[in-house]
Amino acid sequence: MMSTPEDDTHHAFTDLPWLLEPGDLLVVNESATLPASLSATCRIGKIRLNLSTRFADDLWLAEPRWSPSRPGPLPLDLNEILQIGDAKAILLQQYPGIPRLWFTHFDTPASVLMAKHGEPIHYSYAPAYPMSDYQTLFSHFPGSAEMPSAARPITPHVRDTLRERGIGIVGVILHTGVSSLEIEDDTVEQQALYPEIFRVPEATANAVNATHARGGRVIAVGTTVVRALETAWTPNGVRACSGATGLYIHPGTTVNVIDGLLTGLHDPVTSHLAMLSAIAGLGRVKRAYAEAIRNKYLWHEFGDSHLLWRQIAN
Amino acid sequence: MKGVALVTGAGRGLGPILATFLAGQGHKIVITARTFTELHDVAQSLESTGVTVVAIPGDITDPVHRTRLLQQTRAIGGLSLLVNNASDLGEIPRPELALASLQRFRLTLETNLVAPIALIQESLPQLEQSRGLVVNISSDASQGGYEHWGIYGSSKAALDLASKTLAAELKPRHISVVSVDPGDMRTRMHQDAFPGEDISDRPLPEVTLPFWAWLVSQNPERITGMRYHAQGTLWEIPA
Repeated sequence: MMSTPEDDTHHAFTDLPWLLEPGDLLVVNESATLPASLSATCRIGKIRLNLSTRFADDLWLAEPRWSPSRPGPLPLDLNEILQIGDAKAILLQQYPGIPRLWFTHFDTPASVLMAKHGEPIHYSYAPAYPMSDYQTLFSHFPGSAEMPSAARPITPHVRDTLRERGIGIVGVILHTGVSSLEIEDDTVEQQALYPEIFRVPEATANAVNATHARGGRVIAVGTTVVRALETAWTPNGVRACSGATGLYIHPGTTVNVIDGLLTGLHDPVTSHLAMLSAIAGLGRVKRAYAEAIRNKYLWHEFGDSHLLWRQIAN
Repeated sequence: MKGVALVTGAGRGLGPILATFLAGQGHKIVITARTFTELHDVAQSLESTGVTVVAIPGDITDPVHRTRLLQQTRAIGGLSLLVNNASDLGEIPRPELALASLQRFRLTLETNLVAPIALIQESLPQLEQSRGLVVNISSDASQGGYEHWGIYGSSKAALDLASKTLAAELKPRHISVVSVDPGDMRTRMHQDAFPGEDISDRPLPEVTLPFWAWLVSQNPERITGMRYHAQGTLWEIPA
């Protein structure tokens, strides 16, 4: 589905190259998905530990759950010890404002544990598919807890057609954390957001600025790309930038870089949806989502795609 | 595996939160504060994590006290993370700079500027050995020019400049220095700064944990010379 200020129209994903113009630029997330879900045992029994955000190989933000389909809260204590195979993890502190996430310290590099025991994070709405199903054509740098899925429908054929049409594709890296859809807060304003590790390379910053200088449009492939690019924005354009970003784009935030967003369909009251409203306006997002529901679109990372143009054309 | 951290001002507020977080990650810890009872309680709580904890009450403006602290860090493996957190707000209520007691001002400078630099000077051999990191705790008052914040603010502004200068000077010796503005927090110091006011809308110092998790996980030499906002939306690694 494509949403413009005027209307919502339905297309096959393979139409994408013809919905864009030569000179437009797609920016994809090159972060690859990790087998970030680990089985663990502790005082309260067998649980699941979903790794969210890597600070160091032995220090992660992680979400303990009863199971893939059953979230917490779990009756866990400060300094609770989790056993993961032969390794131990300790729950140090809860994340300020997001108590389901814990700073977790490992006595063995988490990369080793994931390689040995990890499987992809999944929730009740989908089974665990093979790890390769959670990668896109652009998954070059492992680091995401959950698949940056917006680029998943881009096949080699679509990619090549885009390029032949003169539509550029460049990358940023933003390692996604867990979404844990079923226990979001009631309102977007209440949502605390944890930071994510990102990098906007020099070549990508240059390509974005050159596209705008030529009058072309910059289309973020995924909300993660919006977060990275808007973090790297300055009044003089996008700059090369890396580190951790806690930028929360919600209604009222000015979106400066991107002209369009290609994304999936998001649950209500998620930070993703808040971002969509910042880009296209709440009314237009509501209109589009009603249209998507009428037409039985599929939600989540293996679902359908939505190309959303910005509210005010520049 | 992890090194030795020295946290000053560890009796209350941000200090114990940070020391506890570092201990949980396996750092050996030396903590100091002027108030013996508070420091004692923090030390007891840290010891329950099973790491080596040394608590020495005292005033960091006292050279003898500093020597004792650094003897301890050396004895348990050598300092790799120095957190200059102890700070003096100065006269309360906060006076206008034009009317402030100069004698009291000098004491603030001793605690907030001279003592942190002294600790850095005196720990250089250990920090060089460990290629360590110095974190100087700053404040937005160092840049604000807010009325009645001239004493504390200028001491922190000077500390910011010292951090940046030391980062440049110590780079060849692989010692890194950053300056961190933790932002407003619901602490005793913050209450002292706003006597009688309700500060319950300020977040607890735990709000800075994500930043500390990030900071101590960085390669110090990639970030040396930076000034960070712990509650900010971007923690950047310079190109």
